[in-house]
Amino acid sequence: MKRLALVHRLSGIGLALFLPLHFWALGQALQGEARLESFLRWTDQPLVKASEWAIVLLLAIHLSGGVRILMVEFLAWRDWQKNLAAAAAATALAIGLAFALASTAHAQAWPYKPVRFIVPFPPGGATDISARLLGQKLAEFWGQSVVIENRGGAAGGVGAAEAARAAPDGYTLFFPSGSVVTANQHVYAKLNYDPEKDFVPVTTVVSGPQVLTVPADSPYKSVAELIASGRAHPGKLTFGHAGIGSQTHLAAENFVHQAKLDALAVPYQGEGPGLAAIVGGQTHFFVGNVAASIGHIKGGRLRALGVTSKAEAPQLPGVPPIALTVPGFENVGWFGIVAPRGTPKAIIDKVQQDARRALGDAGIRERLFAQGLAPVGDTPEEMGRAMKAESEVWRVVVRERKIQVK
Amino acid sequence: MSFRAQTLLWLAQRASAAVLGVCVLVHLATMIYAVRGGLTAAEILSRTQGSAAWLAFYSLFVLAIVVHVPIGLRAVLGEWLAWRSPSRDWVLVLISSAIGFMGMRAVLGVYS
Repeated sequence: MKRLALVHRLSGIGLALFLPLHFWALGQALQGEARLESFLRWTDQPLVKASEWAIVLLLAIHLSGGVRILMVEFLAWRDWQKNLAAAAAATALAIGLAFALASTAHAQAWPYKPVRFIVPFPPGGATDISARLLGQKLAEFWGQSVVIENRGGAAGGVGAAEAARAAPDGYTLFFPSGSVVTANQHVYAKLNYDPEKDFVPVTTVVSGPQVLTVPADSPYKSVAELIASGRAHPGKLTFGHAGIGSQTHLAAENFVHQAKLDALAVPYQGEGPGLAAIVGGQTHFFVGNVAASIGHIKGGRLRALGVTSKAEAPQLPGVPPIALTVPGFENVGWFGIVAPRGTPKAIIDKVQQDARRALGDAGIRERLFAQGLAPVGDTPEEMGRAMKAESEVWRVVVRERKIQVK
Repeated sequence: MSFRAQTLLWLAQRASAAVLGVCVLVHLATMIYAVRGGLTAAEILSRTQGSAAWLAFYSLFVLAIVVHVPIGLRAVLGEWLAWRSPSRDWVLVLISSAIGFMGMRAVLGVYS
């Protein structure tokens, strides 16, 4: 009994020290004009979190001791077992509340500062365009900026590694093209991130076909002419792509493989630079996302020979499916959001739901359509299943095309 | 100190403890309810601002702390440090006032 009283007293002293500090800091944070922002920053400080935990634990101890004292003094419960049971119940209650509080406190405040989307390619590519479109709408919903950070290089590996190492607090989200998280692990013998272990799916934002283009002054007017030339002059044709293992690379390799061509792949640091190269006539063809290519096609800088979907893309009327020349050929690219593993589930669900809401907006849909993209907004579980299935497809393609990088 | 005064302190200590117990549970339960209900911090603050009920509740919370803490410390100082002179009570009044000031400052920050 004496030991319990001692613990009660010590926890009381602890509270007498912590509570005034807590009050003082809270009072300070809530002064002035920008007090909400400062309050939220305050609640996110590691020291404040630690002190909140200390207060909750001390409260649990002190409260349970207090309950026992009140029972003994007012209810005349002298039986130590009853007292212990009462104290244990109070402790369990207090600790349970503390855990619930701690697990939800983070989601409550999110987002109180800008959220960054790491796009693993330079500006101008389809991934970048999709991220910016969605980011603008989410910023409206959240009342916070969504900052698009382009981290190109290593077929998305540079951005992926940075996102994988980011704090899983919901303020850094990764916006890859599908291949970064479903193909790179098969293409690269060594990766500085693990798509399956480092990330959790949030939502597929958009999907869309790709388009096979050649420079506007190219002699090739159709897929058949390009294939005929490639077969007649093995090894002479070149194609650019957004990096080894990128969506554009795999789509082009798939085309080369199924069309039975012999063409040379030229890697660039993203779709934008790859497209700039073909516009400048440095490569012969490019299998790019409609979103990134359509501006060049409509601007007369590139000629579209075929789309990778089985049907004609509504954004590119008159451009036939490649499958008409290469039977069975199909490739659909996608871009989505994944989060560093450990990101609170409440935040993941909120991002998915808000992204889905944003994608339902007529203005967004219209702009995505113009870019050749179809909104998706699936659940994390659905995205996870799709990623797993796609990863298996690329594992086979990469092995058969022998495009692994040591 | 007279027997009557000691009895009053004892009663005040127990009564404030009972109030604090209820206040702590209400405070935690409300926060969890608000968060699970999807309220953001901004929305929570917008509801507490100008709410007389919240002002009354948190003022009672602070008042209970102001009563409970010095009585507990008084016993600790007396029994562990053998400090029983009137100066102890003056120091405790100061501590209690400081806690009350800081507590009410925080409460008014949430209210106004």
